[in-house]
Amino acid sequence: MQSHAALEYDYSVAKLFTYTTILFGFVGMLIGTFIAAQLAFPELNYWMGEYGTFSRLRPLHTNVVIYGFTVSGVFATFYYSAQRVLKVSMAESNFLMFVGKLQFVLYVILAAGMVVSLLMGYSSSKEYAEMEWPLDILTVAVWVLWGIVMFGLIGLRREKTLYISLWYFIATFLGVAMLYLFNNMALPTYFFSGGLGNIMHSVSMYSGTNDALVQWWWGHNAVAFVFTVPIIAMIYYFLPKESGQAIYSYKLSLLSFWGLMFVYLWAGSHHLLWSTVPDWMQSMGSIFSVVLILPSWGSAINMLLTMKGEWNQLTENPLIKFMVLASTFYMLSTLEGPIQAIKSVNAIAHFTDWIPGHVHDGVLGWVAFMIMASLFHMAPRMYKREIYSKKLMDAQFWLQITAVVLYFTSMWIAGITQGMMWRAVDEYGNLMYSFIDTVAVLNPYYTIRALAGVLYLTGFLMFAYNMYKTMTASRKIEAEPQFRSPMA
Amino acid sequence: MNTLMIKALAFAAVLIIATLVVVKQMNIDLSDPINMITMLGAVAIAVLTFGVAAKYVNQMKTDKAEGELAEENWDGIGEYKNELPSGWAYSFLGTLIWAMWYWTVGYPLNAFSQIGMWNEEVKAYNAKFEETHKNADLETLQQMGESVFLVQCAPCHGETGDGLSGKAQDLGIRMSKEQILYTIENGSDQLGYEMGAMPPMMAQGEDAKAIAEYIAGGMKGEQPAAFAACASCHGEDGKGNNGMSPSLADYDDAVISHVLQHGKKGQIGKMPSFKTMLTPVQEKALAVYIRSLSN
Amino acid sequence: MFHWLEKNPFFFAVGVFVVIAFAGLIEILPNFAEASRPVAGLKPYTVLELTGKNIYKKDHCIACHSQLIRPFKAETDRYGQYSLSGEYAYDRPFLWGSKRTGPDLHRVGNYRTTEWHENHMWDPKSVVPQSIMPAYKHYFTNIADIETAYAEAVTVKNVFKTPYGDEFQPTKEAWEAHKPIVLAEAKAIADDMKNKDVKEAVANGQIPEIVALIAYLNRLK
Ligand code: HEC
Ligand code: HEC
Ligand code: HEC
Ligand code: HEM
Ligand code: HEM
Ligand SMILES: [Ca+2]
Ligand SMILES: [Ca+2]
Ligand SMILES: [Cu+2]
Repeated sequence: MQSHAALEYDYSVAKLFTYTTILFGFVGMLIGTFIAAQLAFPELNYWMGEYGTFSRLRPLHTNVVIYGFTVSGVFATFYYSAQRVLKVSMAESNFLMFVGKLQFVLYVILAAGMVVSLLMGYSSSKEYAEMEWPLDILTVAVWVLWGIVMFGLIGLRREKTLYISLWYFIATFLGVAMLYLFNNMALPTYFFSGGLGNIMHSVSMYSGTNDALVQWWWGHNAVAFVFTVPIIAMIYYFLPKESGQAIYSYKLSLLSFWGLMFVYLWAGSHHLLWSTVPDWMQSMGSIFSVVLILPSWGSAINMLLTMKGEWNQLTENPLIKFMVLASTFYMLSTLEGPIQAIKSVNAIAHFTDWIPGHVHDGVLGWVAFMIMASLFHMAPRMYKREIYSKKLMDAQFWLQITAVVLYFTSMWIAGITQGMMWRAVDEYGNLMYSFIDTVAVLNPYYTIRALAGVLYLTGFLMFAYNMYKTMTASRKIEAEPQFRSPMA
Repeated sequence: MNTLMIKALAFAAVLIIATLVVVKQMNIDLSDPINMITMLGAVAIAVLTFGVAAKYVNQMKTDKAEGELAEENWDGIGEYKNELPSGWAYSFLGTLIWAMWYWTVGYPLNAFSQIGMWNEEVKAYNAKFEETHKNADLETLQQMGESVFLVQCAPCHGETGDGLSGKAQDLGIRMSKEQILYTIENGSDQLGYEMGAMPPMMAQGEDAKAIAEYIAGGMKGEQPAAFAACASCHGEDGKGNNGMSPSLADYDDAVISHVLQHGKKGQIGKMPSFKTMLTPVQEKALAVYIRSLSN
Repeated sequence: MFHWLEKNPFFFAVGVFVVIAFAGLIEILPNFAEASRPVAGLKPYTVLELTGKNIYKKDHCIACHSQLIRPFKAETDRYGQYSLSGEYAYDRPFLWGSKRTGPDLHRVGNYRTTEWHENHMWDPKSVVPQSIMPAYKHYFTNIADIETAYAEAVTVKNVFKTPYGDEFQPTKEAWEAHKPIVLAEAKAIADDMKNKDVKEAVANGQIPEIVALIAYLNRLK
């Protein structure tokens, strides 16, 4: 309270990343909605020649929402909250300030390069690692700069003990650094062939089964260290901060953190069940996925218990609603994932729409909810204005909840149905369905999912508008609010 | 039970029932172990997530946060020294012990092999299949043939076997005039008949045309004299001399089997071989089904 | 209270790193050498096939198609023999995929043909009326980048000892010498096709993307 009165935190970098979060969130979800519509109405594939097919746009969707939206959100919330829990201001070090801004500039170049190169078809075709080698190098540079700021701030800190959010930010930094580097190891063929061919082209250092293992060691942990760990960092800061409640249990925080760190990486081979990876590795991935339920639920439960007795906040403050719902969607995806990792279940679930269903429980209900709630919380502090409209926020909440429910229920039913149809045999023991039968049956669910996309995107536009108005037009506030964010 | 819990479980129930209804519509056999485990998994996800979440959200209504605060405080955020929720702690410990047991004892003793599983699945299935269809009647074969056809052949021959406007053989007829002329001109050596190759140019000009028309017309009416050149191998009736060469009159079992074993490149294009994909019973069933298309 | 590690950021970070690093070592390293061994008789991709593979990568067919037949009867009935690790030894990157919006393609070369692919890539609905796959008409006019595929072949030969012949050298001259072989292979495929523009382009020494893609799809067996 009085403790940081003397300190002026500097939000200039946090603000910059806030803008990219909103921009890429919109672009990424627009593309998501569009590709969802393409599966329901395939004629939509032909609106801009070879650049508009589902197959060009799908990796663009995943890359923009991951490296554009989510990663921007992580940086924005980091630059905002790290100063505060460490009790140092970015303004105290010109060097860190410079590195932070340089990081932003390089990041924007990287993101633009990513969008353009993927549209043009430069891709290594490894999921979540599609960017070609020059952009990989740039990614490493951006990441290293972030690390410099992170450890620089930690070095300058006045708060001796690292707050929980920082544990998770540090883990994000290290986890992504290690895994991204290994998975993107590739040789640019131009330099190994005496200057023949396209300079952007590269070939993976690993082949076949090994490439698959390295890829999903990363792919699974892209989920862990981009969609989970830094988002937990957010909720551990923003939920208690917005509600004014103390964290329910330090022990639970501690065990969940180390449990998660220890178990997460083992589970990667659940993406390779029934493949040519040895049986023992597959079983390992399966078992540790089930163990993983508990460290995951630990954080979620800790958050829900933190809100014990605060029902009135839940009903009155839509920001709290967002965060409580985010915890429960986190619980949903971290129970659904382990169940899908059971080998018998995976025999059905793998390759079907149940997987994108599971994915979007997490990314829409947990990741995007937390990022939007965090930015809402930051806005009055960064711009010294109250949030423009509570009504709009409430409407956005209900629209997006409806969207997530429609998305996951439709893909749940579609995936289970399709997976079972692939296996079904008729009374003679022959396959009961041709492949196209199993595609045609999905049409209604694809249509519902596209509708869910429209709803969610509309909600995101409401969020963007609300943020814009908060930055520019809503009522100014004098003192920084300690807990609950003021909103009109 | 409180209303929140009832709502949560009702939502889980609706989701599961909707899934069951859709799946049942597709004639899925839920007694298949994989299907059954999957459905149980789905039930577990829905019930546990919504149930447990409702339990904790309900505590926001009914309970009160309390405990001893730790001395640390970050940006106004405090921390209680509360104990672990016991349900969580025991489950975590339990799963960890289970994982260690599975890893050191359970898995090594079980020694599961997915290829071994496949071998058993296929062996058991084939034995049952042969047993059931030893003396299958024509109607059964025709239905079985249709189901195989729709999965394996329809992408080229169309769902009705019409060849998708000339992209593949129209199975409603034995052969078109163009195809026969093409074979007469080029000969043929790919179907693996006992007689081996058919030489090119066994007939020419008007003769060839007459023969082609005659065969394409279903070998009805008066036989052109030039057909004698063909009859030496294909028989007077064109039925292939008991399987020595292909029947030109109809799709007998031998034609289908030879085409499926060897594939065929002809006037229309190329038909791939299905040597490794089909069992003898399925080949026979396909023959019956294909004959039914021209009737 | 017990906040020891959290007061020492350095040891904290080291701790996190160790805990997350070693699972990977245990799960990936033991099998590394074994998993990179090719099955007997496996040939590396020809330059034309590699070109097709790069088109498959560029357009992310992996977004809808897997190349991994799992050992279930339902799957081997539909697609053929289950996949073996050694079959992928020359796949850089692996293209197993994680979503089957369309069918598996690992052995599609066994049961589809050049003509069929020609029809299908031009307009999937012409052969499968309910298909939701996009048409790729631009493959019939875009000219494929075979030189990059050659560069890739040379790279993997020199770095990973992939068994390409001695004529694969990192020089312009070696590439020029190899080009006619690629063209001949393309011509064999174009001969089975109907599209006039494609035939003409190949006759003029240029390879439209569709030809390379079909070479790759036919190779998948
Ligand atoms: C020397 C023996 C011989 C003679 C004479 C002969 N055929 Fe054949 N024919 C064969 C054999 C053997 C095959 C199967 C070839 C293969 O394996 O591809 C065949 C195949 C065919 C086929 C292709 C059937 C299919 O399903 O693809 C047609 C059509 C045909 N013959 C028509 C004729 C006609 C018309 C004549 C006379 C002008 C004729 N044949 C004369 C031996 C002969
Ligand atoms: C990839 C496409 C394709 C598939 C799949 C396919 N066919 Fe064909 N099939 C063809 C083409 C093309 C022809 C015509 C060959 C010619 O005569 O030019 C043909 C011809 C035939 C013929 C006539 C052969 C003759 O000698 O007269 C039969 C019978 C046949 N197919 C049965 C089947 C059956 C049964 C299946 C499924 C198990 C099947 N086909 C799958 C493309 C295909
Ligand atoms: C939007 C999803 C989608 C994309 C992207 C896509 N496909 Fe398909 N593909 C399908 C569907 C659905 C089918 C099944 C229906 C059909 O045969 O058209 C299919 C079928 C196929 C088949 C036939 C396989 C068989 O067993 O019948 C081939 C070959 C194929 N696709 C190749 C490709 C290639 C090559 C690309 C990329 C250039 C591609 N597909 C991109 C959805 C897609
Ligand atoms: C306990 C935690 C989790 C486990 C054990 C788990 C498990 C799984 C499994 C088994 C798959 C399917 C693999 C397949 O068959 O294709 C999967 C896919 C996926 N999950 Fe999770 N999951 C967990 C949590 C999450 C969370 C919280 C998110 C995101 C917020 C998430 C995002 C994804 C994504 C993006 C994929 C798709 C990967 C692909 O492209 O194939 N998961 N997960
Ligand atoms: C408007 C909201 C969104 C819609 C309509 C949408 C739609 C889609 C669609 C249609 C797919 C392809 C599924 C398939 O191939 O079958 C997809 C994949 C994916 N989306 Fe979204 N998306 C949305 C938002 C997001 C957000 C916000 C994120 C992340 C923060 C995200 C992350 C992903 C990921 C990781 C995948 C790949 C899943 C996999 O490979 O299994 N999406 N999305
Ligand atoms: Ca890359
Ligand atoms: Ca995927
Ligand atoms: Cu995973």
